[in-house]
Amino acid sequence: MVVTAGRSASQGKGRKRERGTTLFIFLCVLPALLFLAIFLYYPIVETFRISQMKTSGLSEEVFVGLDNYRKLFADEEFLAGLKHVFSWVFWSIVIQLSLSFFIAFGLTYYSNRMSGTLRAIFYLANILPSAITAMLGKMVFAPNYGILVTIGKVLGWKWLASTDFLGNPKLAFWSVFVIATWAYSGFYIIYFMARMEQIPRDLREAAELDGASALRYAWSIVLPDLSYAIRICAVLCTVGSLKLFDLPYLMTTGGPGYATVTLGISLYRHGFVNWNYGKAAAIGVVIFVLSLVFTIIQFTLGKKKDT
Amino acid sequence: MGDLNTAAVNPGKTRRRGGIKRRHRPAEIIVTVVLSILALFVIFPFVIPFLFAAKTQLEFAYHPWAWPKSFQIKNFIDAWKAVRIDRGLINTLMVCIGSIVCTIPPAALAGYVFARYRNRLTEIFFYLILIGYFIPVQMVLVPLYKMEVAMKINDTLYGLFLPMAAFGIPFWTLIYRSFFRSLPNELAEAARIDGAGHWSVLFRVMLPLAQPATVLAILLVFIGAWNDYLLSLILLTNQDNFTMQLRIASFLNAYGTDRMPRYAAAAIISAAPTLILYIIGHRWIIRGTLAGAIKE
Repeated sequence: MVVTAGRSASQGKGRKRERGTTLFIFLCVLPALLFLAIFLYYPIVETFRISQMKTSGLSEEVFVGLDNYRKLFADEEFLAGLKHVFSWVFWSIVIQLSLSFFIAFGLTYYSNRMSGTLRAIFYLANILPSAITAMLGKMVFAPNYGILVTIGKVLGWKWLASTDFLGNPKLAFWSVFVIATWAYSGFYIIYFMARMEQIPRDLREAAELDGASALRYAWSIVLPDLSYAIRICAVLCTVGSLKLFDLPYLMTTGGPGYATVTLGISLYRHGFVNWNYGKAAAIGVVIFVLSLVFTIIQFTLGKKKDT
Repeated sequence: MGDLNTAAVNPGKTRRRGGIKRRHRPAEIIVTVVLSILALFVIFPFVIPFLFAAKTQLEFAYHPWAWPKSFQIKNFIDAWKAVRIDRGLINTLMVCIGSIVCTIPPAALAGYVFARYRNRLTEIFFYLILIGYFIPVQMVLVPLYKMEVAMKINDTLYGLFLPMAAFGIPFWTLIYRSFFRSLPNELAEAARIDGAGHWSVLFRVMLPLAQPATVLAILLVFIGAWNDYLLSLILLTNQDNFTMQLRIASFLNAYGTDRMPRYAAAAIISAAPTLILYIIGHRWIIRGTLAGAIKE
């Protein structure tokens, strides 16, 4: 639009004006690009390079090709992280997304004076610092003073009172998962709600006239209508799981053993505890590739279903 | 995406659109009650730190879940000294302000150009920035740290908020882009006919109109920076530079549950700003969060 405005002026003036426009564009985009170039593009390229090096930061870099990747797939901690990320993705989609769908549907379908407040409450845990979320998680699951253990003591249930949720390899993963569900579902709820409110009201009235129950309406109209939103959330879920670090690290530091290690934790440990930059960069590349692959898969799968 | 202002994301307003007066049906009451109980579960954990922080250490050791006998304000004072909360608050505040100042202006400028000057050049720039939106931060941690050491800006607060801003710029560029797109063109055209150049159209007309987006950006960037843990953990090593979140986390590692009441008190102080912001502006925060995802 600006370019056409410039053209209407005389030829020489127009060209000068166009040059001014280009300069303006450059100057406006420059700060953003500068930031990204230094703190994102350059490190991305470096990640690929370092991932092929044997280096600890202090020692000289030695080129080892794909050796770091080969070592990773024999590394117990990394493999545990990979496995947990996959089950984390699966269970968050199955449990968190469906739970969020039902809560969002309940709040939208039966919207009344409470709905706004309830929505605000469900999203509340989402904005909490993860250091605090993890602390609250510990207060729920800790032995001795944790609330579940205390409930067990009060009710005289020895099995509950003596359970060490965070110290038991089998339970630790699920304890962290419960807290994550508590903390992260809020986003899916508000997102689904916003989408559901965009469904034309006539559809619902028509369904009601036909005698459709709330569940029937949810299944036949709302769910198909939200397929795109659900796909977006599935992608967010997946990418979030690949990046997962704060909550398991703060609640269990990945333990006991490797029971709650994630890719993020194994990257942190390799890179910033053991100072093995090469391996850590290789994990970074794995996280990147996986998030790319998952995103593409989920969108192509979703598209096929649509048509 | 551009509908920052529409009622679509606001449940309170869409309710009466149909103009039908509904009676409260039993199903509605049951569902609302069930959801309210769920909401109680969500809120309940927030009460725990207050319960703990009010007690003496001895009281906590024997009756962690009993109602506190008296309110121990001393825990807050001790926590303030032990964790050096004053220092932590100042550091975190600096990071937040730095992050806001470095994220929003570049994002607003770039977003404006992408919305209003569309040609092949801006398209290329746009995709360059869009790439950044899809890069997981974890991927670049190692080179980022190496680079900061080489530049001697690791373990400084600006070494923390500069990359933080870089990671936030792509998202906010997208938000500003869709916001500027949703604004009517007439005002800018009128200003241009009056002889205003690119810069004065931008600064006198468009940026003031973008105020709602800017308020949201300030709010959400602040919360994001306040809550950060991973980046601070990697980039800060000197205790003096520790942000609130790092102080809270390291306090727990150092003392475990031996100092729980004090720890709980520190946690309350560190979570308070985001919580207060949320209670005041939850409508805005939710709307802003959704604006990023809604019409893509």
